[in-house]
Amino acid sequence: MSASWGKLFFQLVLLLASCGHINTKTPSPTSPSLDPISPLPSDIRRVVLKGESHTEKVELLNPVDLALECIWSGNENKSPNITGYWRKDGEEMQSIRVTVQLENDKYTLRQVFKIVSKENLGSYSCSFGDEAKVDFLLAGPQIGEVRDKPIVSYVGDSVVVKCKMDEKKPKPVSWNWYRANGTDKEQIFYAAEPQKYEIKNHEWATKLVVHKLTEGDSGFYYCEGVYAVSTTMGHVELKVITFLEPLKPFIAIIVEVIVLVAAILIYEKSQSKKNSAGGNETNADQTNTPTPGDNNGPEESSSTRQRKA
Amino acid sequence: MNPMKTQKKIKMKKTNRMEDMNNHGPKAKSHSGEAEGPNGDWSWVLVGALFISTGLVFGLMRIMGIFFVEFVNYFEESSQSISWITSISLATQQFFSPVATALCNAYETRAVVMTGGFLSGLGLIVASQATCLVHLYLSMGVITGLGWALVFAPMMATVVANISQRRALALGLGLSSIGIFSFTLSPLFQFLVEMYTWRGALLIMGGLSLNIMVCGALIRPQWCSKALKKVDSKPRSSCATVLRRVSSYLELPVLLERPYLTYTATISIFNAGYFVPYVHLVALSRMTGFSEYQAAFIMSATGVTDILGRVTTGWFSDLGYFRTIHLLSLWVMLAGLFIILLPVSSLTGSYATLMVISLLYGFCSGALSSLVFAVMPMIVGVERVMGALGLLQLIESGAGLLGAPLSGWLKDMTGDYTVSFIVAGSFLILGTLTMTTLPHYFSRTDPPPPHRVPHDVKDRGVHLELDCINNSPSDSSPKGAQ
Repeated sequence: MSASWGKLFFQLVLLLASCGHINTKTPSPTSPSLDPISPLPSDIRRVVLKGESHTEKVELLNPVDLALECIWSGNENKSPNITGYWRKDGEEMQSIRVTVQLENDKYTLRQVFKIVSKENLGSYSCSFGDEAKVDFLLAGPQIGEVRDKPIVSYVGDSVVVKCKMDEKKPKPVSWNWYRANGTDKEQIFYAAEPQKYEIKNHEWATKLVVHKLTEGDSGFYYCEGVYAVSTTMGHVELKVITFLEPLKPFIAIIVEVIVLVAAILIYEKSQSKKNSAGGNETNADQTNTPTPGDNNGPEESSSTRQRKA
Repeated sequence: MNPMKTQKKIKMKKTNRMEDMNNHGPKAKSHSGEAEGPNGDWSWVLVGALFISTGLVFGLMRIMGIFFVEFVNYFEESSQSISWITSISLATQQFFSPVATALCNAYETRAVVMTGGFLSGLGLIVASQATCLVHLYLSMGVITGLGWALVFAPMMATVVANISQRRALALGLGLSSIGIFSFTLSPLFQFLVEMYTWRGALLIMGGLSLNIMVCGALIRPQWCSKALKKVDSKPRSSCATVLRRVSSYLELPVLLERPYLTYTATISIFNAGYFVPYVHLVALSRMTGFSEYQAAFIMSATGVTDILGRVTTGWFSDLGYFRTIHLLSLWVMLAGLFIILLPVSSLTGSYATLMVISLLYGFCSGALSSLVFAVMPMIVGVERVMGALGLLQLIESGAGLLGAPLSGWLKDMTGDYTVSFIVAGSFLILGTLTMTTLPHYFSRTDPPPPHRVPHDVKDRGVHLELDCINNSPSDSSPKGAQ
C-alpha cells in the first residue's frame, strides 16, 4: 500500500515537472524517457476491429502501463499505408501520429500509455485514417449495487444510505459522499456536522447515516469510491415524507370501517324495530317461516341418512 | 340409525316449538340432532364474514415476511430474531383460542370478534411507531396475536354451528381466502413498503385489519350464550360455582370424552407433518438444483391448488356421497403419500415431476384443512363446537411447534430433506390410522352427534335454549325473548 503511494507521489512530481514544458490544452501521455524509477505493472488491451467502430470499456484502479492495440483488417481497397492516430477525449495526440503498414493483411496500431492519475483516464481512440475507429473508455470500476428506487424516510427519523462495491473487484481506498446542490455536488464533511451526518466505511461498502431528517434533505446523494488512479460514483435518491402521507389512506380506511359497522348496526336496529312494531303476529310469522325451512333441513338430512343407510 | 325414529323426533321438535311460542311452558325435551341454522340466507353472509376475517388474519400473517427484509435493515438485527415476530403472533393466536371461545360462551360472540378486530388493528398501528425490536414483539406479536385469537376460533365456530346444509363448502369457501389474500396482498404491500416505508405500510395494514370489526358486526347476537343459563344462578358465586362456570365456558369436560380426545390427537399428529412442505419445499427445490424463480413458482402454484382443493372438496363432501370423515381420511392419506413422494420425485431431477407432485400435495392439503373443521360438530355436537374449537387450536399448536424444528433437525442430521419429508408424510398417515379408532368410524352413516344436557340447566334453563333456537335473526337479543 505505502509502496504504491510512494510510486504515485514520485510520478506526480515528475508529471508536474514535465507540465511546465507542455501546453495544458493538449494532454499528452508522459513520455517514456521521464521514467528512470521502477516500472509500473503493464497491461494490454487488444481489439480486433470488425466493422467500422467499436467501444471497449477498460476498468483501471491502480497506476499501470497500459498498451492499447488496435487491429484492423482493412476495407476493399487495401492500401499499403494508412495513417493511424490517437485521440484522447476527442482531441488528437499529434505527437504519435504514425503511418501503418499492411502486414499479413492487417493494420496494427499500438501505443503504450502511462496511467498514473485521474487525468490519464478518459476516452482514448485509435483511428485508421477516417475509416475505422476503436474507442477505449478508461474508467474506474462500476459500483456494484445501485438502488434504482428512492429510499423513503420520515421527517425526524434517521436513514441509512448505502453504497456497495462488488466484492469481486478490489476495495476502494476511501469513500466520499456528496450531496447534489443544484447541478453541483457538494461534499459532505463528516466533521462539520457530526449530529447530522455519520459516515461508516466498511471495506466494500459505505454507509451514510443522516439524522433528524427534514424535507430539505430530499434529493440525490453520491457516493464516490476512491482508488489509486480512478474513482467510481454511485448515486441514491432520498425522499423525505411527513407522516401525513400514509395517514391519508389510513384515515380513509377507518372512515370506511366506521361507516360499514354503523350501517350494519342501524340496519339491524331498524329491522328489530319493525318486528316489535308488528307485535306478536309478526313474531309468530317470523318464527313460522324458518320452521318450514327448518323442517326441510332435518328432513333432507334424514333422507340423506336414509340414502346412506 | 332408524329413519322412523328420526322422523318422530323431528315431528316432536316441531310441536315443541309451536307450543313454546304460545305457552312458553317448559318442555323437558332437549332438541335432537344438530341445531339447524335458523338464519337461512344470513348464514351465507356469515360465510362472507368468515372469508374476509380469515383472510385478514392468516393472509396477513403469511405476508409478514415482506417486512422482514426492511426490519433487518432498519433495526440491524439478525433475520432469526426478526422471524420470532411471526412465531410469537402465531403462538399467541393459538394459545389464547380457548380463552376466546370461553369469552364467546360467556358473552356475545359479536363483542368478542369486534374486540379482536380492534386489537389486531391496534397492534399493527402501534407497531408502526416501533423504535426497537422488543416493541415489535409486543405489538405485532402479542397484541395482534391476541386480537387474531379473539377472531379466528369464534368466527369459525359460529359458521360451523350456523350452517348445517353445506357446511364443508361454506368452510372451504371461507378458508380459501387465506391463499387468495396472501396472493393479492403480497404485491400490494410490496408497493406500500416502497411508497411509505414499513412504518406507513404497517399503519395501513392495521387499518385494513380493523375491517374485521365489520365482519364481527355481521354476527347477529342470537347464538345463545351460556350466560342465559345463569339466569337462575345463586346470588353469591362461590368458588366452586365460578370454577364450574369457567370450565363450562372453556368446555373442559369435552376433554374427557374419548371421541374428542382421539380427534384432537389425530389433528395434532396431522399438524406435526402438515406444515413441513410449506416450510421446506422451496429449499428442497433449490437443493435439487432449480433456480430461485422456479422454486418460488412451485410455491405459488401449490398455493393455487390449495385454494382449489378447499373449495372443491367442500362442495364434493356436501354432496353426501361419502361421510365427511371418510373423505378427510382419504385426503390426509393422499397428502401424506404425496409428501413422501416429494423428495423421491426431486431425486429424478425433473422439474415437471416435482411440480406435479407439489400441485397434488397442495390440493390435498387444502382439502384436508377445510374438512378438519367440518367434521368437528359430528364429534362434539354443535353447541360445544365453540369451546371445542378453541381447545383444539391450543392442543394442535403444540404439535405444530414440534413439527418444523424436528424436520429441520432431521435435515441437519442427514444432510438432505428426504428423511424429514418421509417423517412428515408418515405423521399424516399415522394420524389417519389414529382417526380410524374413532367410534362409529366404519359405519356408513354419520352417528348422531352427542348433545349435552347441561347439568345446571335441567329445568328452567332448557326452555331458554329452545327459545334461542327459535328466535329469528331479526329479533332483538335473546335476553329479551322471555
